[in-house]
Amino acid sequence: MYRYDEFDARIVSERVAQFRGQVDRRLSGELLEDEFKPLRLQNGVYLQLHAYMLRVAIPYGQLNGRQLRQLAIVARDYDRNYGHFTTRQNIQFNWVALKDIPDVLAKLAEVEMHAIQTSGNCIRNVTSDHFAGATKDELMDPRPWCEIIRQWSTFHPEFAFLPRKFKIAVTAAEHDRAAIRVHDIGLHIRKRGDVVGFEVHVGGGQGRTPHLATLVNEFVPEAELLDYLEAIMRVYNRFGRRDNKYKARIKILVSELGEAEFRRLVDAEYAAQRENEKIDLPQAEIDRIHAYFSPPKLAAKSDTSAAFEALKAEDAEFARWARINLHPHKTPGYTSVTVSLKPIGGLAGDATDAQMMTVAHLAETYAYDDIRVSHAQNLVLPHVALDDLPDVYREMKAAGLHTANESLITDMIVCPGLDYCNLANARSIPVGQAVQQVFADPDYQEDIGRLHINISGCINACGHHHVGHIGILGVDKKGEEFYQITFGGRADEKAAIGDIAGPGLKADDVPGALKRVVDTYRELRADKSELFIETLARLGHDPFKEALYAAG
Amino acid sequence: MTSVRPKLKPDTPKAVTAWETATGQNVWMTASGSWTQDVSQIAAFTGDEAETRLAEAMAQEGIVTDPYFMEVTETGEITGRETLRETIRAKGPTVSYGEGA
Repeated sequence: MYRYDEFDARIVSERVAQFRGQVDRRLSGELLEDEFKPLRLQNGVYLQLHAYMLRVAIPYGQLNGRQLRQLAIVARDYDRNYGHFTTRQNIQFNWVALKDIPDVLAKLAEVEMHAIQTSGNCIRNVTSDHFAGATKDELMDPRPWCEIIRQWSTFHPEFAFLPRKFKIAVTAAEHDRAAIRVHDIGLHIRKRGDVVGFEVHVGGGQGRTPHLATLVNEFVPEAELLDYLEAIMRVYNRFGRRDNKYKARIKILVSELGEAEFRRLVDAEYAAQRENEKIDLPQAEIDRIHAYFSPPKLAAKSDTSAAFEALKAEDAEFARWARINLHPHKTPGYTSVTVSLKPIGGLAGDATDAQMMTVAHLAETYAYDDIRVSHAQNLVLPHVALDDLPDVYREMKAAGLHTANESLITDMIVCPGLDYCNLANARSIPVGQAVQQVFADPDYQEDIGRLHINISGCINACGHHHVGHIGILGVDKKGEEFYQITFGGRADEKAAIGDIAGPGLKADDVPGALKRVVDTYRELRADKSELFIETLARLGHDPFKEALYAAG
Repeated sequence: MTSVRPKLKPDTPKAVTAWETATGQNVWMTASGSWTQDVSQIAAFTGDEAETRLAEAMAQEGIVTDPYFMEVTETGEITGRETLRETIRAKGPTVSYGEGA
């Protein structure tokens, strides 16, 4: 992974000192909240329903054991013994006191972490495939490019006051696990002959006006990537709407200008950039960054493992977990492990300090000190030898981290909702828990197969409900919570925005209604290999709407 | 202001609530104008007095942040359109969390 050089270390520690002074002035009353707010937001500090919330950046979701252990210490010493992993592959602390935040940031700086650009109208944490560098199906490791974009976008003076926040995702796999089509910019790494380049999608996003991104360039050569990104950002910075917060994202600009005009503006800016001030990344610099992401030196192994096979034969629960939570690794004898943060009836994405310590220990002992946060709010150990899975599983089980549900119906994306969030209109967590309960039976879940249910507690869509195969949106109607259901969304390479099924349901009616929908799918599917989303595409939404609103 | 809440009529009983600046904890104004975390101490104000109390809160920037009116009964119980939100804010999340989850 990338390691700070002395320049990185200095700017992060200087930022901590600067924020400490700002907090002191806020606490003395010298700075008013209106003056302080933009400063705290630049350091990831929100004021939520109950308390301040600190969002810490985890660049493209990658952590080492020392960093995760430090996050556990922060959770234990400054919060209420837990943290919440987010769909931006970051972590949030829900109860931290403002007076303590400079100390927390100093602790994070010790392990090369910070909260810079985790909020505000700037380029946010670049996200990526949580199996990057390990998965069989990638063209190459996308993380070096995430890091290059991170370095370019951090403190970029021209893009510190954009019309609105800006999110970039990068993938290099055909199966898109980074949701690039619903990002402001989504990059897919391609190759033409020996030349590496980027397919560039612009103007995707969720929120109150969901849009799928438009393909604006099929191939930007790697050396020109930053020039091309600069051109997009300049067009957005110049023409993006600043008069209306709800129309300020680049998706609105792309939509209002139309694809052709937007492309024309970007091309003109790009041409000017190439002529006047091109960045042209030197190959030496590209190589230098890539060197930080050299694959771990994995000992040669055979395709199969006797220890792994033996435990599968004797422990059905382990065998199920191995069927569901492992992802094929590019090296024989290895696998990527999903550490589920979605126990039935738990809080999606939450991990206690003790659980974080366990995962840190597992990473250091068995997994080449590499941990990822997935945008689906789970953790991943990308490089684990099959031989070590029995030991890894036993330790995970002791910590309650062994739920076998990766990409199954109970692996829901759930926003904090009205239980925590100052913007929410309705609760998400208890509804998510109730939905999990009706699908809790492991055989039932496995029979249903891959099915993504995502829930948001307001139209801002932090729970990605627009791209859930089934989406749930909490709304407030005269002080009462209702839940609107959508069908047919997806976040992958076949990205789609879900369609609203009809009137909202009361919270208590949601689990039963979704069970009817899912059982209808089980009756109507062509065979067990046809996923819910595929049956929905084949038959249309009507049979499922009918099931949704049938009398319970 | 972090919280833009529904406007309340002058004669509707209301409490003044905010976040303690140093900690972020929720606080409510008592009848004497001090701040409490004990919801049984919430005071109800109306009319000009309510406006005066809110102005007093706004003048205490180092102590409290983003004060706003919250609808209550005459005896200071949470009521009205935002009962659910304000009850969660007063009592904490409706789900067990952390080690209690």
